[in-house]
Amino acid sequence: MSTAVVGSSLLADLLSGPRPAEWASLREAAELRLAGRELPATREEDWKYTDLKALATSTFEPAPKVTVDISRHLLPEMVGTRQVFVNGHHAPHASCASAVPAGVRYFPMSHASEACHALGSVGNGAAKGLFEDLNTARFQDGAVILVPKNLKVALPLHVLFVTKAETPVAVFPRLLVVLERGAELELVEEHHGEGAYLSCPVVEVHVAEGAILRHERVQRESPEAFHLATLRAEVGKGGQYHSRTLSFGARLSRQEPRVRLAEGAEASLDGLALLDGSQVADTHSFLHHAEPGATSRQLHKCIVDGRARAIFNGQVLVAKGAQGTDAQQQSRNLLLSEAARVDTKPQLEIYADDVKCSHGAAVGQLDPEELFYLQSRGMNADDARNLLTYGFAADVLTHVPVASLRRSLRQLVMARTQAGSLGDLA
Amino acid sequence: MLSIKNLTASINGTPVLKGIDLEIKAGEIHAIMGPNGSGKSTLGKVLVGHPAYEVTGGEVLYEGRNLFELAADERARAGIFMGFQHPIEVPGVSNAAFLRLAYNKKAEAEGRDELDPLEFDDFIHEKIKLVSMKEEFLDRSLNEGFSGGEKKRNEILQMAVLEPKLAILDELDSGLDIDALRVLGDAVNKLQRPDRALLIITHFPRILETIQPQFVHVLSGGRILKSAGKELATELEDRGYDWVLEEAAAGGAR
Repeated sequence: MSTAVVGSSLLADLLSGPRPAEWASLREAAELRLAGRELPATREEDWKYTDLKALATSTFEPAPKVTVDISRHLLPEMVGTRQVFVNGHHAPHASCASAVPAGVRYFPMSHASEACHALGSVGNGAAKGLFEDLNTARFQDGAVILVPKNLKVALPLHVLFVTKAETPVAVFPRLLVVLERGAELELVEEHHGEGAYLSCPVVEVHVAEGAILRHERVQRESPEAFHLATLRAEVGKGGQYHSRTLSFGARLSRQEPRVRLAEGAEASLDGLALLDGSQVADTHSFLHHAEPGATSRQLHKCIVDGRARAIFNGQVLVAKGAQGTDAQQQSRNLLLSEAARVDTKPQLEIYADDVKCSHGAAVGQLDPEELFYLQSRGMNADDARNLLTYGFAADVLTHVPVASLRRSLRQLVMARTQAGSLGDLA
Repeated sequence: MLSIKNLTASINGTPVLKGIDLEIKAGEIHAIMGPNGSGKSTLGKVLVGHPAYEVTGGEVLYEGRNLFELAADERARAGIFMGFQHPIEVPGVSNAAFLRLAYNKKAEAEGRDELDPLEFDDFIHEKIKLVSMKEEFLDRSLNEGFSGGEKKRNEILQMAVLEPKLAILDELDSGLDIDALRVLGDAVNKLQRPDRALLIITHFPRILETIQPQFVHVLSGGRILKSAGKELATELEDRGYDWVLEEAAAGGAR
């Protein structure tokens, strides 16, 4: 018996529960696409290094409504701009959006379904992923953010997805962000949890002409969790989308950001994965330079310890006619143990001739010249190694715009890189 | 303070230092000059324990101890400092956090009190005035994106923070404009005291107008060819290095 059969029963189980009433046609279409599908197996190129066997042999129930204490996840800059979802359900008492400026629509989808007409429409035409469809079929609620024309939102918004699983549950976090022309927003999307669960978040982003979205994505799921996330972003003419995805938790995680750039648009798609034990973190990104003159920057860093495994597949597609494209991709990886492993693969497909595209991948240990420099200032070899490891990761955090978040992430990195003994570097 | 006897060293099996003798006493300023590729930087790097170089012979005593028994970090904590020609960039580690860590490691080794972030803040603000560094450079990652001159400024800032007994400054003037050179030269002079010594490694005599050495040595082909007082620097400025090399060759033939 192959694992695929077990996998198909997982999908069937997840879909056996009641279908939520809203967005019925969207859900039906997703269910139709899912009919007869199986969990991807490692013989498929896109899943070659990411084995879902452990997921296929698990069972998950629909997640009940529970209450959790979110006080430790609150950040002072964003106490009045937060929407909290617990086990996929909106948590009204934990949420507080009183500081959000007038004009911005920032609601749980269940309260403002009429505002969600864009749901499911980002990247229309492109095939939907299996976990994306699973989310569409079964998500309970999610956040919708609509920023009107030319409004520059001064405070960052905080969308917090928390999962509490006493028995294994499946959750389907959903986020829709629409920035109209010239709008600007900073957004922090966080995933936390405890227990064993499956989380399949879907984030859809529309950035209209000249609008700018800065999007911090923090994955701090429980060590027993599966996190299989899809992000779709469409960036209009001259618009900007900057995201940073920070993966710390989950036994197995996968990020699939798919970004389409119109003429003159800019995107940065940075990532950091900090892995140990037997964690697996996979990033399969797709940057689509669909029109001329767009710029993309991608820096993906992994620190891998123990028997953990990191996978990076960075696809960049420069369409025919997308002249003047400027795309740069860097995958940099640090292996801290013999058994740690990284598989990194850039994938450039270029159908225009006047383009500037570069990519680089490095897998290795710390630079001896850097180590010596620190030792020449009095640090012993262990301290120098720990400081450089910290710096390798913290480099990705330098431009996190929310100070308290930046500090808490640096502290997390300090704890995870044994740099804690060096005092407060945050 | 430092006594070098017949020191030989090689990199990747190629001899670079071929028998160096040099005595440096507390309170002295020495300049090592010489053409490019003469082994000047190598001498500095061997003294601070750079792992790429292998010491193949001779002896170096620092304050009476065998220098080569100390690891690079132990030498630093014992008071030896090298300001590098090409300082390394370390992304992700803030300059301030790095300086505080380096300060505290040395304070710990010397049995002095370590400084917490607030105390260090006061301390470092005094020090950055000495090298006229802008405050924003404290929050930036160590040397990352710094210009050549800014990196040199940061090296001298580290020297001011660590207050070494023996400072070796390698090509301090490269990448510096005249004004910055004067500021950093003055800073180095202010840090010099009777119980400290300086070894200035330089190709150009320009820097020696600000930091005036008592002793000037010409190093070429891995050997010190000539040692004299500071007037030698002026002579080298006027006449270049060739005559020293020729003189040495003639001396060797005799």
